Amino acid sequence: MKPKLIIALLLVACASLTTACHKRLATEKPDPLSHAYDSEPDWNDPQRVIPLNYQQAQGKRVFYHYCVWCHADSTPAGPSNRSNLNPMPPLASDGSVLNSLSDDLLRNTIALGGSAVGKSALMPPWGNTLKQDDIKAVITFYRAIAQPPYQPPARPGPQYSVR
Amino acid sequence: MLPEEMGKVTKRFRWAFAASSVVFLAVLAVSPVREHLRSWKRYERDYVRFAQTRPDTKRLLADFRFEISQIWIPKMDVVDRCTTCHQGITELSLQDSTVPQPFRAHPPIPHQVRDWGCVICHRGQGLATEVRDAHETTLAWEQPILPVEYIQASCGVCHRSELREAPRLDRGREILARLNCVGCHRLQGVERPAMLGPDLTNIGSKVSRAWIYKWLKAPRTITASDGSTEVNGYENEDEPRMPKFRLSESELVALSGYLSTLQSQKIQPYKFDPRVVAAWEKRPDLLEQGETRFRQMFCTTCHSLAVTRAGETKLIGGDIGPELTKVASKVNPDWLVAWLRNPQEYLPHAEMARYRWSDQDLFTVTRYIEEKLTDPSLLSDVPSLGAPNPTEIQQGKRLFLEKGCGSCHVIQRVAPQSDYGPDLSSLGRKTISQLEFGNSKIPRTLVAYIEAKVTSPLSVNAAARMPQYALNAGDLAAITTALLSMTGSSEQAGLEGLILPSQHATFRPAGAFAELYERYKCYVCHRFNGYGGTLAPDLTFEGSRAQHKWIVDFLKNPQTLRPTLTFRMPQFNIPTEEATVLADYLTMVMQTPNVNLAGTDAKAFTPQMISLGKQLYDVKYQCQSCHTIGSTGGYVGPNLTNVGNWMNPAWVEEWLKDPQSLVPDSIEPRRSFSDEERTALTAYLMTLKQSGSARPASAGRGQ
Repeated sequence: MKPKLIIALLLVACASLTTACHKRLATEKPDPLSHAYDSEPDWNDPQRVIPLNYQQAQGKRVFYHYCVWCHADSTPAGPSNRSNLNPMPPLASDGSVLNSLSDDLLRNTIALGGSAVGKSALMPPWGNTLKQDDIKAVITFYRAIAQPPYQPPARPGPQYSVR
Repeated sequence: MLPEEMGKVTKRFRWAFAASSVVFLAVLAVSPVREHLRSWKRYERDYVRFAQTRPDTKRLLADFRFEISQIWIPKMDVVDRCTTCHQGITELSLQDSTVPQPFRAHPPIPHQVRDWGCVICHRGQGLATEVRDAHETTLAWEQPILPVEYIQASCGVCHRSELREAPRLDRGREILARLNCVGCHRLQGVERPAMLGPDLTNIGSKVSRAWIYKWLKAPRTITASDGSTEVNGYENEDEPRMPKFRLSESELVALSGYLSTLQSQKIQPYKFDPRVVAAWEKRPDLLEQGETRFRQMFCTTCHSLAVTRAGETKLIGGDIGPELTKVASKVNPDWLVAWLRNPQEYLPHAEMARYRWSDQDLFTVTRYIEEKLTDPSLLSDVPSLGAPNPTEIQQGKRLFLEKGCGSCHVIQRVAPQSDYGPDLSSLGRKTISQLEFGNSKIPRTLVAYIEAKVTSPLSVNAAARMPQYALNAGDLAAITTALLSMTGSSEQAGLEGLILPSQHATFRPAGAFAELYERYKCYVCHRFNGYGGTLAPDLTFEGSRAQHKWIVDFLKNPQTLRPTLTFRMPQFNIPTEEATVLADYLTMVMQTPNVNLAGTDAKAFTPQMISLGKQLYDVKYQCQSCHTIGSTGGYVGPNLTNVGNWMNPAWVEEWLKDPQSLVPDSIEPRRSFSDEERTALTAYLMTLKQSGSARPASAGRGQ
């Protein structure tokens, strides 16, 4: 009687374990639509999903409309224009390039174009086309997806905060 | 009583008085103490203490007053006291996630938080000054705070048109329209289209009873092994518009029997040229030719086919028309030929264009469909049904009305039940007491009610008539968001002047153009004056953009050199006379006042201008990063190899001034060219001409 009971118990335990594992696997699969606008998969590790706040999500929208064609290796339409250009533009997620550039420099590069900041003229100026808020949003999006992660500079001292 | 004794008594009384006054004092003190301990005061004191620990104390406390702060918006009937506790809501230095709540600043949004307050977007009780009353449902308050994943519902209360900043709301509205929810429900901002589901008056001549049975049981023909389908790698579940109706076996038999008897018109088999039929027997390569024509005509711009690559089945192609992988096992061959020749004869509202067919093409393409797009085992799991008997037909007709089929499908001379489902146009404003939860186990909130109802109608009400949709998590959230945004008409909500109305446009041309416009269904993909599809370029200003001869050539042989485009314009086999009529109308009528075609004369361009233009293009502005000329350059923008034959010089000049004034969502950056530079670039571009038949054309979208 006893061995039978033990076998039955073992079977039940196995079954529950497998269903538990199965469930976990199913939920781990990221759903591209539910994470469509307010998150972005890590470009180097698609399993890791980066949540975005409102401003970063707006940056993502602007990025995928205007910038993705030259600053990503895959685009919504398929091929990318990036490898076509010399010098090759940095990937939007490339923290090793972008992290060391200040927000102000990035803002100027986007608004005034590459030639205005001593970089390649292949980067056109977007200041007439994008609103200031759009440009700021795109930069926050870059900061959010940067690999290695972006560390904001230390908070400005009290001399800036007194009105 | 002796006077000496009076003192004693007085003493005793004194004690009593003293005790009672202490009690009175204590009782009287309860109210001020309670007032002192009210949670908003506690939060304000905490804020002052917190601000003193920050480096910018002065700034943080500059506007601070120890009182309830309130934002009042009479037009929206909103009183908002949230900033009483959420003191740091607009302080830039408090955006850090290390700042404790309720003092953290709101992330940047387009509306000024100090002007609009919180409850317009987050809902909840603006009047409340207790934490629980403000955020949750309590006895006295019915409107809890909106879960943040549905926050875009609040955008939709005022913004009734498409709103790019709120993609989840837009997606939800799109699905509500696409899944034909207006068939049964009244919805805010979703108009009832001319046709919802297909007209079934003549369905018996198109498909067999067995196919109807299978479709009614599970309306999906393509399923991957894991039960999902993928369209272009973007959507993992493309839900067919027809939902599951949970029909019993006898209901399936009866309804399929009734529908199969609907054959008001017999299909007359088309008589092909006998030479074409005879050639088929002799030349086995004609099957391949049929497939080639099918591809060349770009049927896949509207229809998708399942393709299995590396063990994974994917649907490749557009979603304007139905997917066709197993269509030959579905439709009657004579019907297929008749449909391809004239879709509107069978279905007056059909969006499919009436192609110009040669007998040879029509025969080989239909043979290709019959032999390749088929699955002999498709109907193998359907029981043998035979001809329907009169009882089945009678029962089927009753079911057609009872199950609400008539809300989406028309059968001539069968009147459907009107207002089949409840009115949902003010669902987002409903309070818990207005919703029927029955005995269900659903949490008593509006959000949970909508989620449960859309996921599984039976979970709310075991006798629900609503069919079962299989939505993925993202679409479910999108639909819930869109439904929560429907808060009734603007008069009721008191939002006059604040609602941004949705824009509706129609474009109905006249004359010979109108006939061709209807024949080739231009508006299914192209947009004219704000009306029509968005798959292909907006043609509202096409007459200002393109040269007449180029339009004629393009219509006769549409092609594109944009390698990033997956969808191409179908090859309609438009004859020259028709192409000329279309080009005449487009060049005469579809113009923008911003472009003065007579204002720029290509003959006035000098060689100096042209060489300066080339230099600007190559060196100063490096346009080649996005545009290709010949074989070099990028492919973000259209190929410019033949732009001299394609575009009008005046258009090019205006485009260089301000691209977005001509195509609002174009991604071409607006540059600050001087007048001289602009003329020089135009002069150079107009010299770019390609001779011969291999003419580049851009059928590309703005991106």
